[in-house]
Amino acid sequence: MDIGGLLKELLLEDKVLIHFDFMNGFFDINKSVVVTWGVIAVLAVVILFLTSNMKVHDIGTRQLIAETIVDGLRGITGGMLGEEGYMYRDFMAVVLVFIGASNLVGLFGLTPATMDLNVTAGLAITSIVLVEAAGIIQKGFGKWLKGFSQPMAIVTPMNILELAIRPLSLCMRLFGNVIGATVIMELLKMVVPVVVPAAFSLYFDIFDGLIQAYVFVFLTSLYIKEAIE
Amino acid sequence: MLSVTFMNVVWTVINLLILYVVFRLFLFKRVDAILQLRREEIDHATDEAHRKEKEAESLKESYVQKLNDAGKECEDLIAQSKKDGYDEYDRIVTDAKQKAEQIITEAKHNAQIEAQREKDAYVSELTDLVVHAANKIAVSKHDEESDKELYNKFIFEAIEKSE
Repeated sequence: MDIGGLLKELLLEDKVLIHFDFMNGFFDINKSVVVTWGVIAVLAVVILFLTSNMKVHDIGTRQLIAETIVDGLRGITGGMLGEEGYMYRDFMAVVLVFIGASNLVGLFGLTPATMDLNVTAGLAITSIVLVEAAGIIQKGFGKWLKGFSQPMAIVTPMNILELAIRPLSLCMRLFGNVIGATVIMELLKMVVPVVVPAAFSLYFDIFDGLIQAYVFVFLTSLYIKEAIE
Repeated sequence: MLSVTFMNVVWTVINLLILYVVFRLFLFKRVDAILQLRREEIDHATDEAHRKEKEAESLKESYVQKLNDAGKECEDLIAQSKKDGYDEYDRIVTDAKQKAEQIITEAKHNAQIEAQREKDAYVSELTDLVVHAANKIAVSKHDEESDKELYNKFIFEAIEKSE
């Protein structure tokens, strides 16, 4: 078993897919970003299919599915955010779907988009910006700023550190879980090439991917709830 | 390479926002619009039901009122007709009494006239008889015997006539 070679292959491969020559490759686009384009395109097509020709009465199966999805997603994120964070539930639902779908593309033989630190970093940064923005919107800038020195002045440095630690932990948790699952799956495929990987794929590709999406959204919702209290 | 490049992070954020816009425009807004329409319809139906209920109640009240009024009116009518009937009865009885009195008066009057007439007829007959008797006396010869007989005859005739 060449575990070292496997890790090298997974972690150190060149992720750049679209290369621009100018500015020393500053605008290079990674494979993961292109995969998320695909995810967006597929989701958009599915949504357009489900929500076309909507009616008030005598709804069809497609509309029923669309309404169930909306209800379900809002139920999940709305429950986590509470009444005060009501308005962020749609965005959190989208994040949930985005991460879930990005994790599940592994099923179709593609590398999960969340196995790229750039993607998880982008998600984490979006989350922390949303959390702080929610706090500012709810409390006002002055009160939000004062919130760093509460409950007592001595915790101020920790609170400021949290600004960086929270997105970093979100980013690394997601990245680590996905790459861990992928590594384990690759190793399993090396040991037993048939049957067994399929069973474990159920857990590592589907269950773990969705759980990680849920955890990411859950933590972000928790932070938002805390910020707007 | 475990490299994080600025632009790829930005691309991811942009992707996420694009997906959010797609979801919002094509999923949440559409479903919300339908839900809103449904809610409005339900509200409308509920309002309509409340309105109709109130209307029915007011109608019921007015009918009850009308029924009560009708009962009262009925009683009034009956009382009025009774009163009219008694009045008419009184009038008729009074009229009848008056007429009867009038008839009795007339009858009495007629009887008086009749009696007078009979009396007159008797007197005139008596007169005739007296004249006749006088004639007889004047014609026949006078003596005490015949005069006595004549007087008796006259008296007897007069008694017979009067009976």
